[in-house]
Amino acid sequence: MIPVSAFVDGPLWIFSLVVFLAGVGWRLLGMLRQGLGRDFSRPRASSLTGALHALLFRFLPPRGMAKRLRFHLLAGYLFHLGLFALLFFALPHVEFLSERLLGFGWVAMPRWAFILAAEAAFLGLLMLWLNRVLNPVTRLISNTGDHAASVLLFLVMLTGCLALARSHESLRLLHFLFVELLMIYFPFSSLMHSITFLFSRPAIGAHYGRRGVSS
Amino acid sequence: MVPDPGTDLWRAVRQRGVIEPGRTQIPGLDSGVLVDVSGEEFRDYRRERFIRYFGWILPGVVLLTLLFHLLHGAITYRPSGRRVLRFDLYDRIAHWLLALVFLFLGSTGLILAFGRFVILPWSGKEAFSVVASASKEGHNLFGPLFIVALVWVILRFLSRNWPSREDIVWLLRGGGFFGGTHCSAGFFNAGEKLWFWLLFIGGLALSVSGLLLDFPALAPGRDALILALVVHGLAAILLLGFALGHIYVGTIGVQGTLQGMTSGEVDEAWAEAHHDRWFAQIREGERTDAATTGRVARENGQKPLGEGA
Repeated sequence: MIPVSAFVDGPLWIFSLVVFLAGVGWRLLGMLRQGLGRDFSRPRASSLTGALHALLFRFLPPRGMAKRLRFHLLAGYLFHLGLFALLFFALPHVEFLSERLLGFGWVAMPRWAFILAAEAAFLGLLMLWLNRVLNPVTRLISNTGDHAASVLLFLVMLTGCLALARSHESLRLLHFLFVELLMIYFPFSSLMHSITFLFSRPAIGAHYGRRGVSS
Repeated sequence: MVPDPGTDLWRAVRQRGVIEPGRTQIPGLDSGVLVDVSGEEFRDYRRERFIRYFGWILPGVVLLTLLFHLLHGAITYRPSGRRVLRFDLYDRIAHWLLALVFLFLGSTGLILAFGRFVILPWSGKEAFSVVASASKEGHNLFGPLFIVALVWVILRFLSRNWPSREDIVWLLRGGGFFGGTHCSAGFFNAGEKLWFWLLFIGGLALSVSGLLLDFPALAPGRDALILALVVHGLAAILLLGFALGHIYVGTIGVQGTLQGMTSGEVDEAWAEAHHDRWFAQIREGERTDAATTGRVARENGQKPLGEGA
């Protein structure tokens, strides 16, 4: 019988990687194959400018709404930037990506930056999730999948931090198990927005830009 | 008898008398001291006295709460079906953020303090080592989040927690919990205000001592770290004990209270029963609003709502 540790480190890792890559690829292909609907109206402005404007400037809140959106802005940026930094620049992750996937690595962030990124990511995620369940509007438009994604992501981050001392193999395996579960769930969930925003944002920007409307 | 030459050396290393730090190139607190006996003495004191005696406080609180509930039962009310807003969205987010972080820190802190005596005997060394390592990392990492959440809660709730003269009456009557007499209260009653200020002071003590323990290089000396450990433990036990009471009152102890912190709204009957002066203010505000709306409508040549066609 194959031990749990070997299963998590071996077959389950391969399976989750395949599901992740195939699932994300399949969904992107499906989305891109649909293409944009033909617009027969006479263009009033450039689609390209609209697309670039949306891609670059939708990172900022719309003028006049910054004050109203400050909670979402703060929590959203704390979580996303923190998670991005942790995912790609935490030393254990850089080592893992280098040794098991890519064959090359890059400079990892120092420990103090790691701690700051982790604090920011946890704070942001908790604030966003609490807003999701306590705000009557977001509660109404959230489904089980959204909650599952939040909980799974939280567990991945939490187990990662509990294994920070890197002194127990079981803690690393627990973290790795949740990472694999997240990778399997990722293509079927709203977490896909972390990739699809690169396409949806310019598409909407181009659509609006062509009509001369600010997006 | 020939003296053992190692004895003098060992005595010098242990420095049982006055500690004189040696010279070293390693920067850091007490890095010039090879063996500090006071640390060992404190460890013994912490294990044998501090943890052993203070460890009974929390089970004691749970037992007392259970006893109170069995004898007194929950405080109920007859819902009116009309709701009134008590806590806005950001009040609730700040509260639950602090609550979640506090509960996580409380659980991991209890494992670190009492796990050796409670978990280790039945889990074995290997398993407990994993749990303790995870708890330590989690506790250290979530500590700063507690400070952020605490400051947010303090900023949002401070203005509603200033003491008033009526609080003394509330306290003298035990909040009506024991005599059954009604105690008048504003937005928060004296018990809730007491909890807020305890959280304020205890939270501050936890935060400062926790930061020193998280970053020992910031401490001025070993004694400061020992003091930080004692303060951290005392404040944590105190706050956890009161938090248990707070959780009891907020959930099963007083019916209808939890909804105020989940949906933000409470029943009008609940508001009138427990926070009559606050409810009267709300009613007064509604009357003023209605009067203003009616006046504006008349000025615009319209009939106010409720005056018929």
